[in-house]
Amino acid sequence: MPITPDDVQRFCEFLYRRTGMSFTQSKRYFIDHRIEDRIAATGSSSFQAYFSLLRADADHEIEHLINSFTVNETYFYREDHQLRCMTSSMLGAIAALKPPGGTIRIWSIPCSTGEEPYSIALWLMENWPEVDNYNVEILGSDIDTRALQAAAEGIYGDRALMRLSRDIVTRYFKPVANGNHQIDEGLRGSIEFTRVNLIDAQDMARYRDFDLIFCRNVLIYFDDASRRQAAENLYDCLRPGGYICLGHSESMSRISPLFSVCRFPDAIVYQRPEADHG
Amino acid sequence: MVEVVASAKARVLIVDDSSLVRLYYRSALEKAGFEVEQAINGIEAMERTLSQPFDLVIVDVNMPRMDGFTFVRALRRIATDVASLPALMISTEAEVQDVAAARAAGANFYLVKPVSEAELVRHVCVLTGAAS
Repeated sequence: MPITPDDVQRFCEFLYRRTGMSFTQSKRYFIDHRIEDRIAATGSSSFQAYFSLLRADADHEIEHLINSFTVNETYFYREDHQLRCMTSSMLGAIAALKPPGGTIRIWSIPCSTGEEPYSIALWLMENWPEVDNYNVEILGSDIDTRALQAAAEGIYGDRALMRLSRDIVTRYFKPVANGNHQIDEGLRGSIEFTRVNLIDAQDMARYRDFDLIFCRNVLIYFDDASRRQAAENLYDCLRPGGYICLGHSESMSRISPLFSVCRFPDAIVYQRPEADHG
Repeated sequence: MVEVVASAKARVLIVDDSSLVRLYYRSALEKAGFEVEQAINGIEAMERTLSQPFDLVIVDVNMPRMDGFTFVRALRRIATDVASLPALMISTEAEVQDVAAARAAGANFYLVKPVSEAELVRHVCVLTGAAS
């Protein structure tokens, strides 16, 4: 059944309300393609069936849809339920094992153009009352040096900032050319960016003792063998008891038996067990 | 959120070795209308206070190269008006002897981390004489 102009309009209104992303009928070709992809991916029988599923946010469909619309671009506060989980559950457990003033190491890999590691820093300052009580180190790594260069520059367009409140944008960004915004110099200086290949064990061996790793939406691009290699590398990079967050469509249980599953109220994450067995 | 109307912007120097902590404090104080400079340890803080005027210095205790106690003690020994610059120490150390050590070093006030934005702004207002 073809998608009608009325369908597209309802869809665009919904998308705008939920994400702030605005598309007009002039982008019809682009929109139709994304909708058709998601209808196929979810096995929906019609646009109506898909739209019901979307409105119910079944299986995090809104996030899937946003991802398909942003293509390879990412944005600040993406999958914020994991950021919430970080401040409401994981950091409490991590900090409990450290003295006040102790170091907490967080790794964003791959960090792409920096939205994720900067989001972690912003989220901590805005939502974690203990932020000044520990020495938080945030590292961003990626295989793509152009992405790392962009991350270090920290210049973003409106779409990357769509989930941030006006207050956060005012406080931590300054307007630059072409309607873009550059993230605060102090914030840029507080995050280290490095080039790393996730499936290269030797490369990864330089990175150890992380308390928390965000490794989202990259393992899906690997075949089974590489995925397993990456998971084992990440395991070695974590401190015993440390956590790893994957993308919402990824499951460590299907990749490697090394990790235990932690079902926190805000998110399901994986943990390197405190004591290694065997 | 705390709103501050400062007639002339009070200048505050934040001294902490953690860039995220400096940013967290700076952001809170700038939002409240203060002008903020930063230093990453006691030595850098000493250079700043000798070359620029400040109304308050906020200083962490545990820092590499020169810690907060050493810095405040050195500050109080300077032979100019800079010696009377108010110092707010903020530390993870919560023991009675730490508070006593801060007072002995010459700190005007001592806060134990974590410090909320509102709490920070309130104390900075008091110590700089800004209306809050």
